[in-house]
Amino acid sequence: MVVAKQMDVRANIKKYFDIAFDGEPVIVPRKENKNVIIISESIYNELMANSRMTSYADHIGGMIFEKGNPPGRSVDKNMTEDVRAFNLNKLEKISELKKGWNGNGALPLPKKLIKRVGALLGALPIQPEIFPTALRTIQFEFDNARRDHMEIEIGMDDEAEVFIARYDGTESFENIPVSAEAIDNRVRAFYG
Amino acid sequence: MDNEFKSNEKLFRAVYPPETAPMFRRLDGSISSAAFADPKGLSVDREGGRETKDAVSFMQSRFQGRIIYVRVKNCSEIGAVVKYLPSKSDPYHSEIHGSEGTALLSKSQRRHLSQKAVNVY
Repeated sequence: MVVAKQMDVRANIKKYFDIAFDGEPVIVPRKENKNVIIISESIYNELMANSRMTSYADHIGGMIFEKGNPPGRSVDKNMTEDVRAFNLNKLEKISELKKGWNGNGALPLPKKLIKRVGALLGALPIQPEIFPTALRTIQFEFDNARRDHMEIEIGMDDEAEVFIARYDGTESFENIPVSAEAIDNRVRAFYG
Repeated sequence: MDNEFKSNEKLFRAVYPPETAPMFRRLDGSISSAAFADPKGLSVDREGGRETKDAVSFMQSRFQGRIIYVRVKNCSEIGAVVKYLPSKSDPYHSEIHGSEGTALLSKSQRRHLSQKAVNVY
């Protein structure tokens, strides 16, 4: 974060635009706290996407399925489609990771895994947050209203490893088949 | 510096190059435990008696990306092992391993460290 006076920005506008374009937000303090921040278009787009994701996470995270409520009825489908698009876009970026992407020799993720995860994201009614790992796997993360946290690690095996860290400090591990149905069932049980 | 780590000593880590660092930021602003999964062990720079700003500045001269730290006690409370492994180019280089015999941190250890991680830059 760079702080620059308004006068300085006016006199060196290209310099500060270049700083912002390179990913460093520029704060311009003004009288009566009417401050502004200069950011690049890519950071703006990222903020907007994250804002949509946060609303979705609040929506899903706060949701407790009622008994007898048909699965999926409580989920805002428009919001889910937005987040699905966000995740598929992120998956594309993950697919472009080159050898050494973690600064310690990590290999690119297998194309078959990308395809597999893409199919899962396309089918899951409740979308996770997704993250690549240097283990050549992709981690799905979910958080519920009780503040429990669940990770499902998808690799090329037939089974995915599920790790749950609960708000009370207890933890559990289990394996489930890698299918949209099995993952969806586990996710619903987590939110229920 | 020797192989002894004080429990309060900070261990600094650059979370990947800038183009990949945002991939690991969770919606609540924390870092995903996925960023702590490395089969070769988690590479860090020990504080080694320096001010935080000096440690960060030294890291920034060699790495780009978000810089975080965890403390040695955050590792020992989950059974992770901190090894001092200096190199010619980095006298502060250390690694966090899951145990004496296993470099990879367990899921539980990764989650714990991701929650204890403090952003410094």
